[in-house]
Amino acid sequence: MVVYSFYIFDRHAECIYKRQWLPPAISTTGKTSRPSSQTYVNGGPHSRSVLSAEDDAKLIFGTVFSLRNMVRKLGGEDDSFLSYRTSQYRLHYYETPTNTKFVMLTDTKSGSMRLALQQIYVNCYVEYVVKNPLSPVEHPGGIGVNNELFEASLEQFVVGSILHAE
Amino acid sequence: MVSGPYMFLRTRVDKVNAELVTLTYGTIVAQLCTDYDYDYTQVNQQLDKMGYNIGMRLIEDFLAKSNTGRCGNFRDTAEMISKVGFKIFLNITPTVTNWTADNKQFSLLFDENPLADFVELPDDGRAQDELWFSNILCGVLRGALEMVQMSIEARFVSDMLRGNDVTEMRVTLIRYIEDEMPPDDE
Repeated sequence: MVVYSFYIFDRHAECIYKRQWLPPAISTTGKTSRPSSQTYVNGGPHSRSVLSAEDDAKLIFGTVFSLRNMVRKLGGEDDSFLSYRTSQYRLHYYETPTNTKFVMLTDTKSGSMRLALQQIYVNCYVEYVVKNPLSPVEHPGGIGVNNELFEASLEQFVVGSILHAE
Repeated sequence: MVSGPYMFLRTRVDKVNAELVTLTYGTIVAQLCTDYDYDYTQVNQQLDKMGYNIGMRLIEDFLAKSNTGRCGNFRDTAEMISKVGFKIFLNITPTVTNWTADNKQFSLLFDENPLADFVELPDDGRAQDELWFSNILCGVLRGALEMVQMSIEARFVSDMLRGNDVTEMRVTLIRYIEDEMPPDDE
């Protein structure tokens, strides 16, 4: 499987961390459906409209926020939004009771990432961001999240575990 | 299936000598009393503020360790606080009691309070009536519950250190905090 990108949103609806593993030019995020004759192999700036990284994050937050609320409306307060899939990518979602939201975009072949996202929360985010007293409790603009230990542990987790699964 | 070094289970909570915690806390309280010239109202406020800051981080550690989902109602929250939260962090299980009819207020009764072992309040004519020695616990609870969208008030109403029969913390739900919406743009 392939991991395209990863985002963390805080309880204030702000993106506090974003990470991409492929160049934006061939990322499938935000891609609209095209006729099948369109070739994607070459990628390049014309493969999708160019959004800034901030706009990507806002678009993703709006999408998962709406879906998460819709899921609760339709399935009850105990229901949870887990994932959606398009023809090009799959989005995985994990939300903690503190309203911290972890979003990962992967290729369509990947299975459930719920356990992986929970592991990222438990072993990377809580250990290296929350428990770091020099990282603030709130992270406006992502301050305190992209510290070296967190990024190294996340990278090790994604590269070492997820990419070799299935 | 995810495999690799991150699949270890976190069933072990590291042990720390309980007396180290008690003595550390005692030193903090004693230092605050000195710093604030024995103005016990100020000391209570500082302990609450320190507890609030601790609670905002401790809740994430609690959620990570306990794998707990969202609590559906305040009664479930009280049980979680007593049977899981206090058990994990202080190895005690205070009693939940004295609910009001609207289910918005309850008491926690502490038969044991590790923070107050070895403690005797000074005989200065004021500490017995003004100092809430374990007030940091009220702040911890307020900070932790705010992070899971509950605005509460917590305060001690009796304390065995003061000569009362029981140590009782009264917890009141003020309101549930709504989800924040992203700012409108475009």
